Amino acid sequence: MWRDLVDLLFQAYEQFSLLPLFIEIALAFIIIAIVATIIAYGAIMYKRYRAYVHEKRVAFISPIIEDLITEQVLLNENLGRDTLIEEIEFDKEALSNKVYKKAFVRQILIETLIQYRKNFRGEVGDLLRKLYIDMDLQKDSFAKMKSVRWERKIKAVVELTQMDITISDVTILPLTNSTNPSLRAAARNAYIQLSKNEPFKFFDIATEPLLPWDQLEMFKIITTTKDIAIPNFSRWVSYSTNKSVVSFCLKLIAHYDQQSAIPAVMELLNNKDHYFRADAISCLGKLSAEVAEEKMVKIYNHQPINCQIEILRAMGSIASGRYFEFLKTEFLYSSNFDIRMNAARAIIRHNTQHSRLLVEELMEMTHEENQLIIKHCLNPLIKY
Amino acid sequence: MGATFVEYASWFFETTVFIYGVALLLIYAVLAVLSFINIRLFLRKESYTDYNLIVGSPLAPGISVIAPAFNEGLTIISNVRSLLTFDYPNYEVIIINDGSTDDTLEKVVNEFSLVKVDFAYDVKISSKPIRGIYKSTDEAYAKLLVVDKENGKAKADATNAGLNVAAYPYFLCTDVDCILHAQTLQMLIKPIMEEENTRVIATGATLRMANSCEVDEGVLVNIKAPRPLLARFQELEYIRSFVLGKMGWSYINAVPNVSGGLGLFDKEIAIKAGGYDPASFGEDMELRMRVSRYVYDNKIKSSVRYIPNTLCWTEGPTTVKIFMRQRTRWARGLLQLMLAHKKMFFNPAYGRVGMIVYPYNFFFELLAPVVEFLGIIYYIFLIYFGMVNWPYAIILLVFVYTYSVMISTLSVLWDQLTFQYYKTWGDVARVAMMVFIEMLLYHPLIVAFSIRGYYFQLTNRSHSWGNMQRAGFKKKDDNKTPTPTSSTPTADATNAATTAAT
Repeated sequence: MWRDLVDLLFQAYEQFSLLPLFIEIALAFIIIAIVATIIAYGAIMYKRYRAYVHEKRVAFISPIIEDLITEQVLLNENLGRDTLIEEIEFDKEALSNKVYKKAFVRQILIETLIQYRKNFRGEVGDLLRKLYIDMDLQKDSFAKMKSVRWERKIKAVVELTQMDITISDVTILPLTNSTNPSLRAAARNAYIQLSKNEPFKFFDIATEPLLPWDQLEMFKIITTTKDIAIPNFSRWVSYSTNKSVVSFCLKLIAHYDQQSAIPAVMELLNNKDHYFRADAISCLGKLSAEVAEEKMVKIYNHQPINCQIEILRAMGSIASGRYFEFLKTEFLYSSNFDIRMNAARAIIRHNTQHSRLLVEELMEMTHEENQLIIKHCLNPLIKY
Repeated sequence: MGATFVEYASWFFETTVFIYGVALLLIYAVLAVLSFINIRLFLRKESYTDYNLIVGSPLAPGISVIAPAFNEGLTIISNVRSLLTFDYPNYEVIIINDGSTDDTLEKVVNEFSLVKVDFAYDVKISSKPIRGIYKSTDEAYAKLLVVDKENGKAKADATNAGLNVAAYPYFLCTDVDCILHAQTLQMLIKPIMEEENTRVIATGATLRMANSCEVDEGVLVNIKAPRPLLARFQELEYIRSFVLGKMGWSYINAVPNVSGGLGLFDKEIAIKAGGYDPASFGEDMELRMRVSRYVYDNKIKSSVRYIPNTLCWTEGPTTVKIFMRQRTRWARGLLQLMLAHKKMFFNPAYGRVGMIVYPYNFFFELLAPVVEFLGIIYYIFLIYFGMVNWPYAIILLVFVYTYSVMISTLSVLWDQLTFQYYKTWGDVARVAMMVFIEMLLYHPLIVAFSIRGYYFQLTNRSHSWGNMQRAGFKKKDDNKTPTPTSSTPTADATNAATTAAT
């Protein structure tokens, strides 16, 4: 029987080799396409089946994990009794349940603990951390750190950070300059959260850019992490050669209202990059840096539109009342709509007797479009 | 002599079509690989991304959501409510009432406590005159801005009016009757914020059919594969076009088009490029080309990115008549576009857009229906003169068929890898089964309507926008007859990513 089959295949091959090349290629592709289609269908079914099984497993294991956390942590009778967290012992039997030896269960446990820790601080948060350590889950996280796959490394960094487990500088600092932007961002965020002495040390050595998405993440971490030592960010404004670091520091200076940084920020008004200058002007506005007004007015005429608009906005924020004439001139005589709009806003934002009189005066002396601009800016329903 | 010429012509035609077909098949194979790589990369990043970070962040860039509406009185309230529910800290919703003749404006004014305001704006792009701008006196709707304007007979004109009043540096272009995911803005802004070295001028995501989905107050509550056959074919076509096609193109920064149903754009670039072209039948494709021209002319290093998640559900035509009207218009838009931007054709000054996007659109989107049509005529000619080698012809037909089935099945697989939107196996099967009959039933319609579109465009036939009659969405706990609604004509010109059927 096998011999017949081999003969048949041999004959088929002989016939195949007699066909024109394009028909041979077509036949070969037909077989490839059929096989690929069957594999694709198989993969679809397998993928869905795996998702189904995973869902079932999670549905089964989640209540067990929830019970463990509730009994061992949330309802722990030692909480609130001035007992040191390190001295609180868990029920060893509950922790040694065989189910917690399975890798996927341990991963779900880590994720659940992280979720809980996001919601609970103080003693409960510390006890959640102790549970993580006592169950040796940090070993799982450190094992992921050794993975060659960068997303697993990131997962590990995030887990360890969330659980406040120290990662040595030797391990984490090189990652803050990784060429992989995602890994780099995760490492930087971890460093800020975990480094007790100099959380912003990596700003000194950062050569790779701090992308806007990373800034968003880092801003949230810096502004929400407890007990973080906030430095004077003007240090990097003055000395860093990494533009994105400087730009980020300007946002932090404004957020923390670091008045002592004003001279350093003013230095940026001479920078050649107009996007940079615009950021600096915006920062000065948010700091209400009255001392910078004169310089901003002085350089105004030599600036591109984006910087001019930022200067007008800053003057609205500072609202010193010293430059009404300048604002009035810009409003009345500029040919640019956005300039006129921002000049009007700046005058209105002063919100003084003088500014209100000036607005009335302008309403009477200016043309219809400018009057509409004033009405627009005065309307509380219109925010922008 | 005559016979020699016929032989020569036959040889030339066959060789050309052979090379064309092989090139198209290879492109699809390459796209399948590239999209797989890109989806894997996306999923790896997604595995640790926390979108909640952006929700309360003061650093989130502002986004203006622009949604034109024309005679949407029946559904406008739930549509606007839906648009006001994005999980994003810094956005506004601009509804453009494009000269509706029904009670669209009155309904919105009453429901959202709107009052006419003195609103100053700079006309950066021309559009039909604005009759009034409305803001809500209710703080809960502070993000809402309604623009009432004269009908411009095109979505492009309405969107341009929206661009003139938009406050933020980015804008999301959509249709008011599209159902968008609550995380749409966060997910579309992320590629813009995480790109190194280039300015991302547009981002997009997958669109899907909402025909059989359950919707409650403008929010999707149950995702189902469409039951009507025509809508199901379109579902498959969209999956192939977005998940396999655009994700592949996105990987090499050569996305041919950002859909009009859902696209986030850099406002400054879009305005400087001249905004949407109201005369275009495919204004979304046209804008993509236009902004590319602008950035290359001004030496701005830019990119256009796609993500594989479905963030927008739209109702597809369920009757052949409406489908024909839609595809005829898209075909006209494509031809218009090719002629308007012919300067970019194989022009290295326009980088990948000139060397990849335009030539691909020209050869494999514009010419594909023509080549297929000529191929069919040639086949009939050969059959008539008994010149067909039937065994070989059948082998070649089977080859093309199995290849197209493979590509479409892979796109369904890629889609399943991304996110399993369908809850039941039955829904997956419903879409997956379409791959076997698509080439026989659906594809010929597309070819015919495309040829019709080209003919109309070349003969300068006037286009009636018609009424894009919609069946409405199935409501939760409601199995009654769907509510009839109508929608503004839109050039939701998804590149059809036609199957390799030449």
